[in-house]
Amino acid sequence: MQFLLPILHSSVTIMTPLLLAAMGGLFTELSGMLNIALEGLLLMGAFCGIIFTYFTGSMVLGVLLGILCTMLLSAILAAVTLNLRSNVFITGLATNLFASGLTVVLSFKLFGNKGVVVFDSIPSLPVLRIPALAQIPVFGDIFIGHSAFIYLSWLLLAVCYVVLYKTPFGFRLRAAGLHQKALSSLGMDPNRYRFIAFLISGFTCGLGGALLTLNLGAFVPNITAGKGWIALVVIFLGNKKPLGLLIAAVVFGFADAFSNYAQGALNVPADFILAIPYVFTLLAMLGFSIYSKSKDSFES
Amino acid sequence: MEYAVEMHGITRIYPENNLRANDAVDLTLRKGEILCLAGENGAGKTTLMKILYGLERPDEGDIRVMGKPVVIGSPLDANRLGIGMVHQHFMLVDDFTVAQNVVMGVEPTLYGGLYNINEAEKKVAKVVSDHHFSVDVKKKVKSLTVGQKQQAEIMKMLYRDVDILILDEPTAVLTEQETEALFVTLRELARLGKSLILITHKLNEIKAISHRVAIMRQGKLIGTYNTAEVDELEISRLMMGQSVTLHVDRVDTGLDAKPVIRFENVSVLRRGQQRPLLDKVTFSANSGEILGFAGVGGNGLGVLEAVLGGFVPVTSGKIYHNEVETTNCGTANLRNDGLAYVPADRIEVGSAVAASVAENLIVDARSSFTRHGVMNRKKIEAHAQKLLEKYSVKGTPGMSIGTLSGGNIQKVILAREIEQYKDYIVLSEPTWGLDIASSQYVYERMAELRGAGAAVILISSNLDEILAVADRIIIFYRGAIVAMLAGNEALGASKEELGAYMLGLKRQEAIHD
Repeated sequence: MQFLLPILHSSVTIMTPLLLAAMGGLFTELSGMLNIALEGLLLMGAFCGIIFTYFTGSMVLGVLLGILCTMLLSAILAAVTLNLRSNVFITGLATNLFASGLTVVLSFKLFGNKGVVVFDSIPSLPVLRIPALAQIPVFGDIFIGHSAFIYLSWLLLAVCYVVLYKTPFGFRLRAAGLHQKALSSLGMDPNRYRFIAFLISGFTCGLGGALLTLNLGAFVPNITAGKGWIALVVIFLGNKKPLGLLIAAVVFGFADAFSNYAQGALNVPADFILAIPYVFTLLAMLGFSIYSKSKDSFES
Repeated sequence: MEYAVEMHGITRIYPENNLRANDAVDLTLRKGEILCLAGENGAGKTTLMKILYGLERPDEGDIRVMGKPVVIGSPLDANRLGIGMVHQHFMLVDDFTVAQNVVMGVEPTLYGGLYNINEAEKKVAKVVSDHHFSVDVKKKVKSLTVGQKQQAEIMKMLYRDVDILILDEPTAVLTEQETEALFVTLRELARLGKSLILITHKLNEIKAISHRVAIMRQGKLIGTYNTAEVDELEISRLMMGQSVTLHVDRVDTGLDAKPVIRFENVSVLRRGQQRPLLDKVTFSANSGEILGFAGVGGNGLGVLEAVLGGFVPVTSGKIYHNEVETTNCGTANLRNDGLAYVPADRIEVGSAVAASVAENLIVDARSSFTRHGVMNRKKIEAHAQKLLEKYSVKGTPGMSIGTLSGGNIQKVILAREIEQYKDYIVLSEPTWGLDIASSQYVYERMAELRGAGAAVILISSNLDEILAVADRIIIFYRGAIVAMLAGNEALGASKEELGAYMLGLKRQEAIHD
């Protein structure tokens, strides 16, 4: 069992950007918008987070500026979708293509390199050792020794729950997704809540993306590698509930961490192993849709 | 006399079709009274009330609330002025509790931001007990009965402390007991000094609940009357209007009439509802006649149309076309079998508004316009051009049909359906929203088809139309046939007589065919 511990430990690291993107996506989803732009927003956060950290020399400032840029992109996405009434699927797709092109162009412009850009001079993520977590039997070792941002993201999940289920804003946002006329007939504009939901997506993806690159100390083109799409799957598998999101993200984080481990440990071609998280996503979605179908037919 | 609301000279023109939905309407609402706003479908009642609630802006006219001139730009403005509206379709979030729905937008909070659900439930529970409602405020809306949902809608407005309450056809979905309970509540609200407007077209309800009744017809206010001083027949006469002289020559076709479409004890039930939508309907539509169906909205005409069009399966009974059974065989088979159908909704059902006139004309006969599986553009356009001329449509084959006027859209649909017709045609509200000339055009085509031996089935809420063109008249009330008038009975029938059947005041003893 000893080999399992590092896998579990690294799956916590891996799942965090996924969880953050899914949290932001949860807000848009509940407000009635299918936000497929999570992938692009995450990539934007990944790129901006590390270059601003590099230019400012401060990780906090860098991450904040990265989040701001990502929120700006999500604001454009929201404005085009909601105010100019474009199809959310098309604008989301455009955002993804835009982010993927822009990051490579800027990377070439700034560093003369279209490939991997390594930043040696930037500080590494500050690691926190929270003694209380170490006291947890069996699992304690898994939870300690992560970067401060990871603990912050867990805190954000709690905030996310409170905002959605314990504030008037959360109720109205969910009403926008469930029955928008109920909201507009009382004089509230559903699109206002959707706009804010997009901004929240920008915020969490900005943070989640930054964690990806800062953890690595480098920017790799399309480093997100489908994490934004998997975040969408996490939202549905998590049954659109904050706690469900956490469980689904843990499972996917583990699949990813396991494939990383297996590359070194198992004698199987790497291509197959790298496909594990994606095959897993497919199977999970398949299982989920079979499950919900059988539940539907049972209810009717 | 003090007025809660005075609307003066309200005019609202819909630019899309240049329809005068409201035409210089004057309406007053006294404090503490229940006013019924009555009229047929499309008379402009809902538009007028949407203007009062800030959902639409009038093109002309002014509004005073409690004596002060006001501009109502949004529902929030209306709420601020103490005006609330209960919509015909429920505006409730099923997954939220009653309390959460009621307080949405004005939620009580704790610590400057957190939703205080306990406080919300307490406040809403007080509204419930103050007004003798029977709803558990902690229950989710989806588990409520229709009557309770309606109560929740009313509570939404009472919670906002409105003095003026508009209810748009509040009893449309209620059972009789629920309606009775609603009326008790409404009378109580009026006694407490609130002023209420009910949009309705049900005569018995107008008599039962209102102090005054304002009657609208074709966008105009016909008058406001003290309910005690007018009887139901008088109200119905005012709602329907004087007969416009529409004329269709009745010709003796000389053909031996044979049943083309025959219904035998056809019933349609909907799950969870006790009252059938169609109740043992038996009739036959014969060759060489126009068979008219009349009834007030919600009494089964819409379902009959859907059954004839093959959209709604029947629960029991049999339907025959030329004595061959076609029960529940689906729209595609019915079309192959010769169904020609001009639907009531010419925008959503009858045409594809974004597609061109030419494309709309061939939707049903695509295969005859292809060569090796590819559409033959020239042939399609020539076909369209020919039909546009034949049916005198103002438009070109390439225009998208949505840019035509209502009358021309209807002509395109008629052209397509008449070309498709074999021996019967179903027309539902074929002249709704059309001007006199276009209506006359439709009647002439109907008369031509009858002359050619077709069974023409006309479903219409316009009594003038039914009386002017139908050879036989069948009247629906609550999904069942209550009268069947043929020959001299149909020719000599008056609107009052039809109205009495339509409103369930009268019923033929033995319905003959």
